[in-house]
Amino acid sequence: MIPTFLGSTVLVFTILQMAPGGPIEQIMLQLQMGGAISAEGGASSSGISGDGGGSLPPEALKELERFYGFDKPIYQRYFIWLGLFPREIKHRNFMVEPGAKIVEKRVGKKDGKLWKVDIHILDNNEFRVFEKDGSVSRYWYASVDEIDSDGSLNAVIFQKEFSGILTGNLGRSYTYMQPVTDVMKPRFKISLFYGLTGIILSYLVCIPLGIKKALNHGSMFDFGSSVIIFIAYSIPGWALGGVLLVLFGGGSFWEIFPLGGFRSPTEIWETLTPLQKVADQIHHMILPIIAWTIGSFATMTVLMKNSLLENLSQDYIRTAFSKGIKEKRVIWLHAIRNSLIPIASGIGHILGVVISGSYFIERMFNIDGFGRMAYEAILARDYPITLGFLVIVVIIRLIGNIISDLALATVDPRIRFK
Amino acid sequence: MNESINRRRWKKFKSLKRGYYSLIILLGLYLLSFLLPIIINNRALIVRYDGELYFPIIKGYVSGKTFGQDVPGEARYRTLQSKFKNEPGNWVIMPLYPYSPYEDITYSGNKMYQPPSKSHWLGTDNTGRDVFARMCYAFNISISFALVLTVVNYIFGVLIGGTMGYFGGRFDLFFQRVIEVWSSLPMLFVIIIISSIIKPSFFLLIGIYTLVNWISMTYLMRAEFYREKAKAYVAAALSMGQSDFNVMFKHILPNSLVPIITYFPFSVVAGIAALVGLDYLGFGLPPPTPSWGQMLDIGLQNITKWWMVFSPVTAQFFTLLLIVFIGEGVREAFDPKVYSRLR
Repeated sequence: MIPTFLGSTVLVFTILQMAPGGPIEQIMLQLQMGGAISAEGGASSSGISGDGGGSLPPEALKELERFYGFDKPIYQRYFIWLGLFPREIKHRNFMVEPGAKIVEKRVGKKDGKLWKVDIHILDNNEFRVFEKDGSVSRYWYASVDEIDSDGSLNAVIFQKEFSGILTGNLGRSYTYMQPVTDVMKPRFKISLFYGLTGIILSYLVCIPLGIKKALNHGSMFDFGSSVIIFIAYSIPGWALGGVLLVLFGGGSFWEIFPLGGFRSPTEIWETLTPLQKVADQIHHMILPIIAWTIGSFATMTVLMKNSLLENLSQDYIRTAFSKGIKEKRVIWLHAIRNSLIPIASGIGHILGVVISGSYFIERMFNIDGFGRMAYEAILARDYPITLGFLVIVVIIRLIGNIISDLALATVDPRIRFK
Repeated sequence: MNESINRRRWKKFKSLKRGYYSLIILLGLYLLSFLLPIIINNRALIVRYDGELYFPIIKGYVSGKTFGQDVPGEARYRTLQSKFKNEPGNWVIMPLYPYSPYEDITYSGNKMYQPPSKSHWLGTDNTGRDVFARMCYAFNISISFALVLTVVNYIFGVLIGGTMGYFGGRFDLFFQRVIEVWSSLPMLFVIIIISSIIKPSFFLLIGIYTLVNWISMTYLMRAEFYREKAKAYVAAALSMGQSDFNVMFKHILPNSLVPIITYFPFSVVAGIAALVGLDYLGFGLPPPTPSWGQMLDIGLQNITKWWMVFSPVTAQFFTLLLIVFIGEGVREAFDPKVYSRLR
């Protein structure tokens, strides 16, 4: 499980890091296009003197690279991202004159006082950082960045920090300028809400329908519902969602449901009574949930039906009948329990779909959910969010597999964990 | 024996009317769709002007000046046709449906957001392109895409899966791990990432899709080859000195065709759905290639223009429905399940 996780993250990490058009190139593009950039560049923009439409000066470029961690080789970046390798933060540049042995550097404030450190330069141009009381600094490290032609050193002093996904830090989003986890939390809840409602609804519909179809195999009911299933299978849920939107969203025909959104905008939402809130929420949810459920409707119903049919033709059912057990008991106690096995093994898989299967529906219904966040992150080349999304999805899938196994064990008497 | 079983299956498939007729309709439409350039196009088939015959549909670009038309660039054959009505001896034969899927508002006479009418059967879209023409061309592209995709996918699946199942051992173990890692990724997400980096063309998109989608067939073929390997006929072939390659592809493969054939229609369905989805998200074929997903995307941005949403969805729906019917028929013929009921 852990190797799988590592393997899949390595893959995507590599793809993303190789990709052109990363944050630095985007900032450069912004500079070339507009000259003056908005202050959204955050810490990085401080290093850029806006000379209006020019390219970046090399120092600023270097600073940007350092800010985004692009100055390290790719394998180091991966380990930094994992949290197994220290991240360098709070960079400060300083110069060392040729021949200097000790440089004093102000690095900030500590306990309300100025914080200064002594940097000793060793013969091979390595640095040792000492606090003022003479002890080796536990916080600061320094390294040579560049050696000028006159022998003076361009150096940088920085702190080290282990923070990566193993410590629960998914990094900061480039576009939202917030920690990725903060960006994800509210959106994850929305998607989960839809996903769980969708799953529960589809199980509530598909299992009874599948059973009824199997028991009445070949009847008019079976035939009629098969037509619906064929239709549902032939149209992707989200495409149906689009049709529903045109029909009921007030575009060309009826205006029954809102065009999109998770619920009414906050200003309206706040004024509603609790009962109205529930009604508003359901009102917004109906179309997306139909689109959501229809996706798994066909496959799950057919799976249930075929599995029950197969079980009904098994020898043990014949045996049960021949022992004189009532038909109801045979079907509901013997056959159905066994035919739930394939459905149960799908539970974990569906958990993964809950998260990743909703790009379309969230985009179509304008729901600010997890899938849409990931989709927009790819468009904006927001690597921390893209990778964070991936990590969460892979973890959920792996957990889903375990849940599948557990569910399988509860319904399949032949499987027992020891 | 092998011959007769396949003939029996084919007979059985033919007896399942729904699937058989779906196959005929779909095949007919698909073959017809290759003639689209002479059925739905804005280039005239034949022009007779001043006693001379021109064949713009074959020749391609013919400037408007040739026909005495005062327009920059290519001749406008539709206006030419109405103009020639009053000129004896001059005539134009247009394709049945005289609009091209690419001509937009810049082409004189086109308007945006025209509702369905006699001239534009399904209206026009946000750039004045004819929706019906685009829908028909997208049919051809979608099916071709899904067919090529499925074939390429299956070739890789058979090669890798077959080798895994036949040889087993380290190779098998290694690829099992690869598959494990690969299948833990959200596929669509990976496709989106890759296509957001390289702007895909038709074949590049197939490549990207194959890269993430070879797994299911590989697993099936691995199981098939693994099972077949243990059978006596393989041992017999090997003892007669047949090479591994021969055994795999001349002896085992024909016996493992059932999953390939029964899954094929459903893979095509998945391929079409995937293309529509990617196009909808804007990561599919580059515009202005006619595609249902991209039409749907534009349609949903103009939700009051219902024809822009309904046309691609309906076209996609009927296409997929036909393929699903074929798939059901094929499955019934190749892999029949007889349920005996005891009451």
